Amino acid sequence: MKIGAPKESARGEARVALTPESAKQIQKLGHECVVETGAGLAAGFNDDTYRDAGVTVVDGADALWRDAEVVIKVREPSDEEAERLREGQTLIAFFWPAQNEALLEKCKSQGATVIAMDMVPRISRAQKMDALSSMANIAGYRAVIEAGNNFGRFFTGQVTAAGKVPPAKVLVIGAGVAGLSAIGTATSLGAVVRAFDVRPEVSEQIESMGAEFLFLDFEDSQDGSESGGYASPSSPEFREKQLECFREQAPDVDIVITTALIPGKPAPKLWLEDMVAAMKPGSVIIDLAAEKGGNCDLTKPDERVVSDNGVVVIGYTDFPSRMATQSSLLYATNIRHMLTDLTPEKDGVINHNMDDDVIRGATVTHDGEITFPPPPPKVKAIGASKPKKKEKEPTPEEKKATELAAFKAQTKRQVSLLAVGGVLMLLLGQVAPASFMQHFIVFVLACFIGFQVIWKVSHSLHTPLMAVTNAISGIIILGAILQIGSGSAVVSVLAAISILIASINIVGGFLVTRRMLAMFQKS
Amino acid sequence: MLEQGFVSAAAIAASVLFILSLGGLSNQEKAKRAVWYGIVGMAVAVFFTALGPGIGGYWWLIPMMLIGAGIGAYVAGKVEMTEMPQLVAALHSFVGLAAVLVAWSADLERRRVMAARAAEASLDQFSAFAALVATKAPDELMFLQVEVVLGIFIGAITFTGSVVAFGKLAGKVDGKPRQLPGGHMLNAGAAVLSLLLAILYLNGAGFWTLIVLAALAFFIGYHLIMGIGGADMPVVVSMLNSYSGWAAAAIGFTLSNDLLIVTGALVGSSGAILSYIMCKAMNRNFINVILGGFGGSQGPAAEIEGEQVAIDAGGVASALNDADSVIIVPGYGMAVAQAQTAVSDLVRKLRAAGKTVRFGIHPVAGRLPGHMNVLLAEAKVPYDIVLEMDEINDDFATTDVVIVIGSNDIVNPAAEEDPNSPIAGMPVLKVWEAKQVFVCKRGQGTGYSGIENPLFFKENTRMFYGDARDSLNTLLPLID
Repeated sequence: MKIGAPKESARGEARVALTPESAKQIQKLGHECVVETGAGLAAGFNDDTYRDAGVTVVDGADALWRDAEVVIKVREPSDEEAERLREGQTLIAFFWPAQNEALLEKCKSQGATVIAMDMVPRISRAQKMDALSSMANIAGYRAVIEAGNNFGRFFTGQVTAAGKVPPAKVLVIGAGVAGLSAIGTATSLGAVVRAFDVRPEVSEQIESMGAEFLFLDFEDSQDGSESGGYASPSSPEFREKQLECFREQAPDVDIVITTALIPGKPAPKLWLEDMVAAMKPGSVIIDLAAEKGGNCDLTKPDERVVSDNGVVVIGYTDFPSRMATQSSLLYATNIRHMLTDLTPEKDGVINHNMDDDVIRGATVTHDGEITFPPPPPKVKAIGASKPKKKEKEPTPEEKKATELAAFKAQTKRQVSLLAVGGVLMLLLGQVAPASFMQHFIVFVLACFIGFQVIWKVSHSLHTPLMAVTNAISGIIILGAILQIGSGSAVVSVLAAISILIASINIVGGFLVTRRMLAMFQKS
Repeated sequence: MLEQGFVSAAAIAASVLFILSLGGLSNQEKAKRAVWYGIVGMAVAVFFTALGPGIGGYWWLIPMMLIGAGIGAYVAGKVEMTEMPQLVAALHSFVGLAAVLVAWSADLERRRVMAARAAEASLDQFSAFAALVATKAPDELMFLQVEVVLGIFIGAITFTGSVVAFGKLAGKVDGKPRQLPGGHMLNAGAAVLSLLLAILYLNGAGFWTLIVLAALAFFIGYHLIMGIGGADMPVVVSMLNSYSGWAAAAIGFTLSNDLLIVTGALVGSSGAILSYIMCKAMNRNFINVILGGFGGSQGPAAEIEGEQVAIDAGGVASALNDADSVIIVPGYGMAVAQAQTAVSDLVRKLRAAGKTVRFGIHPVAGRLPGHMNVLLAEAKVPYDIVLEMDEINDDFATTDVVIVIGSNDIVNPAAEEDPNSPIAGMPVLKVWEAKQVFVCKRGQGTGYSGIENPLFFKENTRMFYGDARDSLNTLLPLID
């Protein structure tokens, strides 16, 4: 099959769906690759690098749409592009079928199959083609870089000869992929990062990225697993509590990055005007939800706004496109994985298997029918997890008290053990002959020494320890030696057998220990 | 012939050398010297005792020792490191059997002396141990009988128990717990019967009581260990190690030999501590392990959602190439597949590429305490990158890739997360906290305990199916 990538027609879109690297991989599946001339230029791939990778470069969009049997794109097709679709052709792109019903209808009537990269279900197997996540990752990274560009101070705290610099305080709202990526980037720049999310189960992920999770103590928390790992709208009471928390944070933080989105709904307003007013001049707000109306009251899509008190509010919607090379590389890989799943035999023939959860979920039109919305996938995206309650750190007094109690309990146990042992010894001494008691003292002391010595043995040497104790327990040979000179033949024979097997034990045990210990080497 | 004073001095020297030998095992470098202390101690003990007063029968003694030494050397030279558990179990059985034989002989000697006394014959005719018995007072002889009973009972349990353990570890006996109908009631019955026989014997019954007593103890040892499953073998082997020590100590009392007592006590306490450590590592108490099987679970185990996602060698290789820090968690599966050399090659390659590679060893990994360490040492993995559970458990969160090779229950998150799980509360290696986990495993089956492992269903886990050695060998050329 011929896989073709046209130049993106949307204004300002710099990404491309095919890179020379992904083209090589796609060709291994038995496909041919075609690219429109100049398609990769904005992303840093010129036509020659494509040619070197074995891709045919064609002039003009018309030629490409005519040649290609599978068209791969970044953005949803424009009306003009939709016209060009024909029966039997497959289009793979971000499509947003819920918002673009007219376009969906049109593609259906053209008879084309459309696979929407934004509809890939969120299950483990499909992670490699989850383009939304790879784009969100870039958006999160870029948001921090953009914030740094507009923020007049360091991210990291420093003590220099010219004075002390406090670290920047960053608040990330919404810990999806974009949020986590922003947290990671900001922490690695040295900022103090706090993060909030309505789904308490992500607290672990937030903490793993090095941020502090702002914990809302609220009864009726959401369970993210219900909605496939995405957030859903919250109750008014919860919202109030949440805003209260943000209001507390506003005067303290320097940079706010909001990423809160609810699938299929306008973005929730979370950073209100009064919070912006409470912030210090020179602070920066990056609103990653700008395309859906923004999380901040002041956000204007695609614009940089400065508030009355000097807070910069950035509402760019094209963060991934601003890093076109990186996003193209990742997106092209996502597409390539989708094609791999569509070509199970690696023979250059597309097998559109509608029984496959992933392919079924992403397909929005097929065989002249609209197949959106898909049935829920058979496998749940993520396991339900219980929110973890933070354990209270004990105060020093409490710690002291528990330590003291433990010490007392231990003393009590030891003293009572000693007392019981002493009484037993006394009783034994009453009946046992003196010679026995002498040996018994030796026995008890040897046990004590044994316990003291063995505790120090390194765990990794437990096997040699067993082998060596084994060899030593062959000391029973002494018993046999003492008896072998007996006048009784039976006793002599028994003793001889004992000597034989005990010698095996001694020699075998020591030699094998030596062999083992010789193997232990330092690097 | 040497004087008794020489023999006693030698005994003291040997005791000190044995203690130094065990104490020296606290680190790998000292250990190499420590084993020599043990060897010298043993040589001193045997040499001086054999040349001591009242010893005869050299015509028997020397050939037997030489033959035994020959067999021992041959076995020690030939054994594979993966077969260590079997070997240790087999050697324990010898100590047990020797203890039974020596105790029987002691009683036979006692009977000869008693008979002579009854006949009011001269006691000077006795040689060797009998001569010593002849000097004992009646109450001392009474205690000697108690010691004989103990020696036989413990020795006999050690003998058959070790033989069964050997069979299970060598795969000659089915590893599953198996018991005769009646279960532990049979053991209890046999124990009660043994006690009755012991009382009969102490009241003057014939030598047959000791033979029946040994037979009963043989049965208990056999039946007890048959009822314990393969994965509990670390505890069983250390327990038998301990018993062999106590048996030696009991014989020491019988023969009034302090060196035997000291050594027996050292070995006995060593085995007891090892059993305790193993039980603690499985969060089970000793009685529970010995009585076999897992305690009943307290409720339905949590359902596991998600799917096990497989991955091929290429995927694992690219993740390893990208990783900076790698932790490898081996288990019994590595020993079964003889994969330690392949693991070692992988480690060498990764370390040459400048990555931090370490091993995380769970105390009960394998079939013998410290089994994994020996296998890795055999494959020339440096011991300073092989860490134990407590040392490494907090580092998983900052690790890029974890490779789990043939272990299952010791990395099961259910032990921490699901209070209804049969292994709840057992300390486990928290591998799932790492960024990525690859599980090298033969197939989709459950581990020894039969518990599903939620780790395999986690989002950051990929299953690398196949025989561990073959999988690693296909992986090796793909690492740059």
